[in-house]
Amino acid sequence: MSAEAPFDVVIVGAGVAGALIADRLTGAGLRVQVLEAGPDTARSFDGYTQNLQQFYAAFAKGPESPWTPAKAAPQPDTGDLRTQTGYFVQRGPQLYGSSYTRRWGGSTLHWLGVSLRMLPEDFRMRSRHGVARDWPLDYDALAPHYERAEHMLGVSADVADQAYLGVTFRDGYEYPMHRVPPSYSDQALADAVDGMEVTLGGERATLKVRSYPAARNSTPREGYAPQGAVDIHADGRPMDRFVGERCAGNTACTPICPIQARYHAGKTLAHAIQGGLTVLAQAVASKILVDPADGSVQGIEYKRYDDPNAVTPAFTTHVAKARVYILTSHAVENAKLMLASGLTGRGGTVGANLMDHPALYAWGLAPSPVGPFRGPLSTSGIEDCRGGAFRARHAAFRYDVGNDGWKPATGAPDATVADAVKQGLFGGRLRDALATTLTRQVRLSLAVEQLPDPANRVSVDPAHIDAIGNPVPVIQYRIDDYTLAGMAKAAEVCRAMFQRAGITDCTGQGEAWFPPVSYLDQTFRYHGMGHFAGTHAMGDDPAQSVVDPDQRAWDHRNLFVVGSGSFPTMGTSNPTLTLAALALRTADRLLASLQAA
Amino acid sequence: MTDRSEQFLRLSSRLTGFGAFDLRGTGMLADYLAALEARLPANVLDELLAHGDDADDQAIGAILADPKLGPVARNIILLWYCGTWNALGASWSAACGAIADDKNAVISAAAYQAGLQWTVAGAHPAGAAQQGFGAWSLAPGASPQ
Repeated sequence: MSAEAPFDVVIVGAGVAGALIADRLTGAGLRVQVLEAGPDTARSFDGYTQNLQQFYAAFAKGPESPWTPAKAAPQPDTGDLRTQTGYFVQRGPQLYGSSYTRRWGGSTLHWLGVSLRMLPEDFRMRSRHGVARDWPLDYDALAPHYERAEHMLGVSADVADQAYLGVTFRDGYEYPMHRVPPSYSDQALADAVDGMEVTLGGERATLKVRSYPAARNSTPREGYAPQGAVDIHADGRPMDRFVGERCAGNTACTPICPIQARYHAGKTLAHAIQGGLTVLAQAVASKILVDPADGSVQGIEYKRYDDPNAVTPAFTTHVAKARVYILTSHAVENAKLMLASGLTGRGGTVGANLMDHPALYAWGLAPSPVGPFRGPLSTSGIEDCRGGAFRARHAAFRYDVGNDGWKPATGAPDATVADAVKQGLFGGRLRDALATTLTRQVRLSLAVEQLPDPANRVSVDPAHIDAIGNPVPVIQYRIDDYTLAGMAKAAEVCRAMFQRAGITDCTGQGEAWFPPVSYLDQTFRYHGMGHFAGTHAMGDDPAQSVVDPDQRAWDHRNLFVVGSGSFPTMGTSNPTLTLAALALRTADRLLASLQAA
Repeated sequence: MTDRSEQFLRLSSRLTGFGAFDLRGTGMLADYLAALEARLPANVLDELLAHGDDADDQAIGAILADPKLGPVARNIILLWYCGTWNALGASWSAACGAIADDKNAVISAAAYQAGLQWTVAGAHPAGAAQQGFGAWSLAPGASPQ
C-alpha cells in the first residue's frame, strides 16, 4: 500500500451526485479527488462515439448495451435477470429488476432524463397518510436546491405545466429551457384522455396528459447556454464541440444519446475538471478505513487496474487520504462498500429499505397512425395518480407515455417484423401489414411507488466476490400488497384509458420476459425502473437512520453518504433530480461547516 | 453487378415487398449476400438464389413452406428489415448442413441503421438518422410506397 498526497475531499463515484458536489467544492477552492471504479471512455467525444458504435452493433439493445463494464468493476444487467447469472446475488422472493452503470458519468449515461420534483406530500408519508416515515426535510427546504439542480442538469419544462398536486414554484421562477415539444402521439392520447375522471380510494381524479420536465436540451430561455457534448482532450486543448446543444430526436435517450443532448454527469465533471478537479478512473474503492476510537474515516482503500477487459485483472492497492470523504457511488454500491468495511449502522440500518418503482407495461394499437419510433423516448406522462388520500391504502403511480412503440415491452420493431414473418407474410402484404401496425403502436409504463421495508436489503457475503476480491451485492427483495394494490389500480385505470381512446389493448401479447409477481387472482409481469433508493436513509434519529439531513453519517462525522440511498421514501418521481438537489444542499452544508471550523 | 447479386436482389424484392431501387439504396446488398455466403452451406444458398429468376408469389409461398429453404428465406426478410442474422438452430443444421457462426447478431452498425423496418414505420433507426428538433411533434407522414 502507498499513501498519497492528501486532498481536502475524496469522493467515491463519478456519477451525477459526485460530479455536482465535486464541481461545487472545486469551485470553492477545495482540492478534490474523485475515485471512479469504471472506465472513462465518455471523457472524449471519440471515446463516447465508440460506445455508440457498440450500441448500433449490439443484438440486444438494453440499457447497458453500449456500456460494457470492466471485469474489475462489474455491474447489473437486466439481460441477466432471467438466468440470474448477473452481478447481483438475488435471494428473492421477488427479483430486483433494475440496473446501473459503474463508469465515468455513471447511470446518467443511459437515463431517460425525466426530472420531476417530488410532491410536497411525498416528504410527509407518515404524518399525511399514516404509512412509512417522514423525511427530515420538507419540500420548501429542498425547493431552492431543486432550482439549482434544474439549472445544473439543464431541465426543459414550463412552470405552468408543473404546478399540480401541491407542487409550487417561487414567483418568477423559470426552468432554464422551454419544454421539449410533446410528441404527436402524446397529443393524440391527450385528445382522447384529458378530462377523464377516475376514482382513487373514493376520491375523484381528473387525468391529463402532461409534458414532464426533461434534462434534455430544448429551446433555451434568456441567459441560459445549453451544454452539448463533452470532449476533454488529454493535451489540455479546450472543448471544441457544439454538438448536442439541442435535442435532435434520436429516439435513444436510453441507452445512449448519440449527440449528448440529454444530460449526463460528464458535463458537470468536464466543468469541474477545468476548475482543477482530479478524477481517477479505474480505481475501485474497496474499504473505508475507520479509526475505531472515534469513528472518523482515515482513508479510502482502492484498487487500481489497467485493463478493463482482463478476466483476471492485475491491480495495485492504494489509500486515498483527505479531511472529508463522500460516497456517491450509487445506493447499492454505497451500502456495499460500507458493509464490506464493517460499517453497519446502528441496528443494521445500512443496506436496509431498498426500494425501486416496480413497473408494468401496457400497450395497444391506436385507431389511426400516431408516428411512434420518433423523438425522445417519451415526452409526457400522466401524473394525476401520484398523490391523494388513497395513499393511506395503496401505492401511488404515474404513467410514462412512450414514443418508441412497443419496443421496451416486446422488442418492437424487430419483434413486430419477426412475428409477421413467422405468420407467413412476405412481399407487399408484409410491408402493408407492418405499415399498419408499426405506425399505430402505443405504449405506457406504469411505475408504482414502493415503501421502505427493512426486509428489502443489500448485504454482502464473503462467499460472493468479484474478480478483484470485492464483495458483490446480495439482494433480498419483495413487493408488498401496498404496492401490488397500486399496481392493480394502475392497470385498471390504464385499461379504461385505452378503451376511451379507442386503443386496441394488446397488453401481454408478444411480451418479452419479465419477472412475475402474484396479487389476489392476478399475475403481473413487472420490471425495474432503475430507481434504486433507501439503503442509507436520512433521518433525525441516529437509531433509525444512517445519515443526518445533511447526508453526514451519524457515526462517522467526516463521512458523507450521498444519493438516492438517502431517501427515507421515494414517492413516484424519478430519483435523479431529487438526489441532485440533495447533493447540492450537502455541498453547501459541508462548505459552511468547513468555513466555520 | 454479378448474376448472383441480381438473383439475390430479385429474390429479396419478392420477399420484402421493396423494389430493387430501394434495396440497392440501403447500400447493404453486397454485405448481406456476403453474410449469407459466410454462413450457409453453398448448395443451399445456390438452390435458393436460383429461385430469384422465376419466383412469383406462389413460388415464394412454396419456398417459405419448404423445411430447408423456408427458414433461410425468412431470415433474408429479417436481414433486410432488421439488419440481423437470427440463429436457425441445431435442428436445421442437422437436417440441411452446417452453418458457420449461427448466432443472433446484427450484421454491422450500418446494417442496423439500414433496416427497412424504420422506413416502413415512417421513422428512423433509433440512435441514428436524427430527424431534427421537434420533428416528433408533427403528424407522421404516409409510409412511402
